[in-house]
Amino acid sequence: MQGKKYIMGLFKTEDQVVSTLAALKASVFHFQRVHSPIPSHKIMDALQLKKSKVGWFTLTGGILGLISGFALAVYCSVEWKLIVSGKPIISLIPFFIVGFEFTILFAVFGNVIGLLTQARLPSLKPMEYYDPRCSGEHFGVLATCEPMQQDDLKDFFQQNGGEVKVFD
Amino acid sequence: MPELTYASIDQTVLNTLTPPKRYYWAIVAVLFLGVLVGAACWAYQIFVGIGAGGQNNPVAWGTYLINFVFWVGIAHSGTLISAILHLFRAGWRNPIARAAETMTVFAVCIAGLFPFIHLGRVWQVMYMIPYPNQRLLWPNFLSPLMFDVIAISTYLTVSSLFWYTGLLPDLAAIRDRAEGTRKKVFTILAMGWTGAHEQWRHYTRGYLFFAALATPLVISVHSVVSWDFALGIVPGWHTTIFAPYFVAGAIHSGLAMVLTLMIPLRKIFSYQKIITQSVLENVAKTIVFTGLIVGFAYATEFFIAWYSHNAVEIEQFRWRATGEYRWGFYFMVVCNTLIPLLFLFKKVRTTIASLFIISLIVNFGMWWERFVIIIGGVARGFSPHAWGLYAPSLIEYGIMLGAFSLFFFLFLLFAKHLPSVSMTEMKETLDHGGSHAG
Repeated sequence: MQGKKYIMGLFKTEDQVVSTLAALKASVFHFQRVHSPIPSHKIMDALQLKKSKVGWFTLTGGILGLISGFALAVYCSVEWKLIVSGKPIISLIPFFIVGFEFTILFAVFGNVIGLLTQARLPSLKPMEYYDPRCSGEHFGVLATCEPMQQDDLKDFFQQNGGEVKVFD
Repeated sequence: MPELTYASIDQTVLNTLTPPKRYYWAIVAVLFLGVLVGAACWAYQIFVGIGAGGQNNPVAWGTYLINFVFWVGIAHSGTLISAILHLFRAGWRNPIARAAETMTVFAVCIAGLFPFIHLGRVWQVMYMIPYPNQRLLWPNFLSPLMFDVIAISTYLTVSSLFWYTGLLPDLAAIRDRAEGTRKKVFTILAMGWTGAHEQWRHYTRGYLFFAALATPLVISVHSVVSWDFALGIVPGWHTTIFAPYFVAGAIHSGLAMVLTLMIPLRKIFSYQKIITQSVLENVAKTIVFTGLIVGFAYATEFFIAWYSHNAVEIEQFRWRATGEYRWGFYFMVVCNTLIPLLFLFKKVRTTIASLFIISLIVNFGMWWERFVIIIGGVARGFSPHAWGLYAPSLIEYGIMLGAFSLFFFLFLLFAKHLPSVSMTEMKETLDHGGSHAG
């Protein structure tokens, strides 16, 4: 994208963002991303985003947890064969509790790993093309254009009701 | 909430993070002193032996276990509010979710201390950790105490991760408005969050799974705690009603603690427009509901004792209502079931003073409920020659003071250094009436 100009339109409402996105799609400018202070279904629907894959990490974690919990309980019992209240050494019902807790624990670990890897966090490099107002009361739509179209893109955002921020 | 805007929410919450005044540090110092008293008592017990506490035959489980169950119970409403009410799309939980989640994390930490304290020789905890060792010993996962180790560690880990995940967008908001060292600290804490649509896409999904996993977890954790008792054959403990009874009791006490913390917080931080009267009213209504469940459980225990024709059970419950600890029983019935019914009157549940006072009464009653259950069962067991009474020692009171001080000490530090109301979820409430919806 060398030579491209990065310009952000800052809006106060989701509805403005949604209408701007629709107009942006029909324009010659290139949409980059939206920054918003809240998760917005309207914006996500307008962007036609695919469902996140975080759930697969969660599911994998959960399955591993279930197996690990049962395996740990069985291994400990087999290594130290202590008969309690006449129950079998490998007692599935009590071990289900261990399996259940491990399922939740590992599913949450999977969930966190999924969230971090998919959302690319943590990211400690300086944030490029970001306006701090986007964590407050503004929704930022970032788009690019050729240098000669810079004024057109600024006008475009202004016509849609936004403030404009041009990145150097 | 017509007067609230995104900007006013940010302003109100960020104003709470301004440098604290001297009296704040004075209160923190007093609480820290309480923590030191508790720590000193614990250190004394470690050197002298577990006999420094009042536990003795037949009552081997005294205030350490009462406080353990009490604090685990307090920890439950945070997850109820953040996870279960999130799944039900109850928008009124948003203003109080952050503080309740924080309360959960601190309460589980404190609850987790008590089994260590109760061990006496605290280093013996290694027996509960499954690792290859020269003793060739392994923990026995048929024991409910081992279930508890797993459940409480899982709960602490999950609730901490859930809490931090919820904080992430707010940490970024603080980072974007901070300067100097504070900005550097919050830059690290916010982990590069920018609120980009790709981040939100994964975040909302992940948050939904967090809530979906935390919901069965919260129910399982207090069920497991109840099985510490119910899987023993002690009269008064050995009953299948314990799991739902304990879960309802935990949520009951947790909600009361939410009111106890939220009402002063609301006043001190001028959160009146955010934590509205109707939010407190909804908590009060939920307390009526959980109070009725625990009341029903109290009555069911008596009914089943009578219906079982089991002489030991019948004696246990006769003694519960008429014996030496009857005042504890009356405290629990009156404070947990009858007094919360006053919330049925609109005037009572819309008056801040009455909400606060009743929340304190419920906290008091729920502590006594644990006393009645835990002490009562073992004090009046199967054999009359082994009956005996229990009274906490000064060391136990000191440790209890330390635990309460530690809880409020941590909460006070949190309230002034991190956002005690979720700015992001409040903004969502304005637009959608919901929260991080998946």
